Amino acid sequence: MVKLRARCILVGDAAVGKSALSQMFCSDGSHFQKNYTMTAGVELLVKSMSIPETNDSVELYIFDTAGRETFAETCEKMWGQPSVVCVVFEISSLDSFNSCSRWLERVRAHCNGLQLPGVLVGNKSDLASRREVETAVAQEWAREQGLQYHETSAKEMENCDAPFLSLAQAFHAMYQDRRQIIQRLSWDPTDHQ
Amino acid sequence: MLNTALNSFGAQVLFATSSDENYPPERMIDGNMETFWLSTGIFPQEFIIRFPDNMKISVISIHSFNIKRLRIEQSTNEEAEDFKVMAEKEFEQTEGSLQTNEISLDCSNATHLRFLILSGYDHFVSVHKVGIQA
Ligand SMILES: Nc1nc2c(ncn2[C@@H]2O[C@H](COP(=O)(O)OP(=O)(O)OP(=O)(O)O)[C@@H](O)[C@H]2O)c(=O)[nH]1
Ligand SMILES: [Mg+2]
Repeated sequence: MVKLRARCILVGDAAVGKSALSQMFCSDGSHFQKNYTMTAGVELLVKSMSIPETNDSVELYIFDTAGRETFAETCEKMWGQPSVVCVVFEISSLDSFNSCSRWLERVRAHCNGLQLPGVLVGNKSDLASRREVETAVAQEWAREQGLQYHETSAKEMENCDAPFLSLAQAFHAMYQDRRQIIQRLSWDPTDHQ
Repeated sequence: MLNTALNSFGAQVLFATSSDENYPPERMIDGNMETFWLSTGIFPQEFIIRFPDNMKISVISIHSFNIKRLRIEQSTNEEAEDFKVMAEKEFEQTEGSLQTNEISLDCSNATHLRFLILSGYDHFVSVHKVGIQA
């Protein structure tokens, strides 16, 4: 049994629903804010995710970051070294999708060369009638970037856990991998003859 | 002395920021290079070693993997408090073998040593052995 800790940087354009999504995830669906309250800095939310079929868990420290450009620089200083990234757009805004690569680059610049598992989230799936970004297009870009793709609706409480579970699982898989590498590395054959 | 297991003369790990029950912090001071403590995510990581008496320390040796920046602090108190910085060092990255580093100190006294791993070459780092020379 192990409890891992991961710093999850949550980014994307203003008003795509980052705060709604993370609050929905952390409050188990009891807390959807209809009125838009802009995030002006970084809000920290913490939630533990158990990894299915293991006794392990990942504690996610979610850095819900302001999408408005005015705050970007100040926010970046608060990220520290990211463990995983969650990039959000809304399916009803092509502009917000086009910004995703810029957001991803921004977070990657803080990684000092460390691997960064991530997800791409198309939020507001309830607004399907106003869809501007096709699922296949988003999926393809995510695949190119090595991200998992999920569509969510914070409003309808649809699928809000999925992106975070994906991140926790990816981080956990990375831990298992490193653990085995180190185990192999430290095994000294001369001691076992 | 650098090769002696620290726990064989009563040293213990008082605290560590990470613990996987399969890789507990005691593994750093059992004298065995094959057993290790593994950090479980996010820097800084910290552990504190307590000695049974006030020890004179001239060299600290560390076998590890993927540690980048390490700071060592000492306390001469009975309790683990009032730590003062003794050394800070950037380790070189290794591939396919452990990092081996010796850090010389000008004969300091300590009841406790606190190790702060400030950064790593990966998300997870391991410490296999900590040794000291009087
Ligand atoms: N229809 C619909 N509206 C949503 C959904 N998620 C969030 N909203 C609404 O979108 C608006 C913006 O949501 P926020 O969560 O504050 O957006 P944000 O990304 O945190 O914005 P910044 O903090 O400015 O970066 C609010 O009015 C929410 O009620 C959703 O899934 N569907
Ligand atoms: Mg917000």
